[in-house]
Amino acid sequence: MPNALMLAAEAAAAKELEVNGALKVAKLFEIGGTEIWLTESVIVQWVVMLILLAVILILTHNMKVVPETKRQAAAEMLVEFVRNTVNGTMGEKYGAYTPYIMTLLCYIMISNLMGLLGLRNPTADVSVTGTLAIITFFLVQYNRAKTGKFKGYFKSFVEPLPFMLPFNIIGEFANPLALALRLFGNMTAGLVIGSLIYFALGNFALVIPAVTSLYFDIFSAVMQAYIFIMLSMSYISSAECD
Amino acid sequence: MEMTPETMKILANGILLGASALGAGTAMIAGLGPGIGEGYCGGQAVAAIGRQPEASGAITRTMIIGDALAETTGLYALVIALLLLYANPLIGKLVQ
Repeated sequence: MPNALMLAAEAAAAKELEVNGALKVAKLFEIGGTEIWLTESVIVQWVVMLILLAVILILTHNMKVVPETKRQAAAEMLVEFVRNTVNGTMGEKYGAYTPYIMTLLCYIMISNLMGLLGLRNPTADVSVTGTLAIITFFLVQYNRAKTGKFKGYFKSFVEPLPFMLPFNIIGEFANPLALALRLFGNMTAGLVIGSLIYFALGNFALVIPAVTSLYFDIFSAVMQAYIFIMLSMSYISSAECD
Repeated sequence: MEMTPETMKILANGILLGASALGAGTAMIAGLGPGIGEGYCGGQAVAAIGRQPEASGAITRTMIIGDALAETTGLYALVIALLLLYANPLIGKLVQ
């Protein structure tokens, strides 16, 4: 009996479920004992940048004042949508943030959709989502310092009452943390559940993975990009001092 | 059964790995909270759209943000569970 159990365990181990972090491709350099690696996420992000560059060049090629082609109409629709979202959520005076929000939306959406090409989503790596959240964190601080000046910036931390200071500071760091973990968690959950389904079905993985991929790779991908920009916008505009 | 050092070692490592797996599963009980929260959020949004169908765009947008915020605690639990399964910090404590 123990033999049968051991054989079953060995068979299970041979077909091991592989859900690793992003692959390390090559070691770049070392700073004070910390190794800096070129990871899979970086390389997939290069692919994302190439796709974005190609799409931008195709859409904005040969533009006219009155749109004649469908390409230009599509590009204008996209820009219009983001501009309306920014104006509706943040207000007219934050129109200068439209390019940043647009970049964020396109970049995160294409990154999330990379799963469709069989590549690993760069957003399933906490260092990528963390970077995006840190940019938003600095924009929040910038907007607060800009609207409140020196005095208002520090005064906003002791409002409404001075004993709220620690909670305000924790809240300041919890927002970008939650922002990064939300995108990372959603994309990683999709990746893990996808590989679990392939692992469980083995050679019979025919229709079911397609259905779950529709949700995790397409719906969730677009939704999370939209949620990321909506939350970024509301964090930035709510940092305003009055 | 006699406890040789060998069996004790296997037992200790087994308890550590098993407890990690149990911990990952237990952490995901936190999924209850976001489930209730998002359900409530969606239900209220449907009621609001029923009352004011012309404001459905703004209500849907607000609902999605509310859903995303309700989801946060669940994602914290998910990160803990993923850590325990794929990047277990206790793995260094296994008896060699």
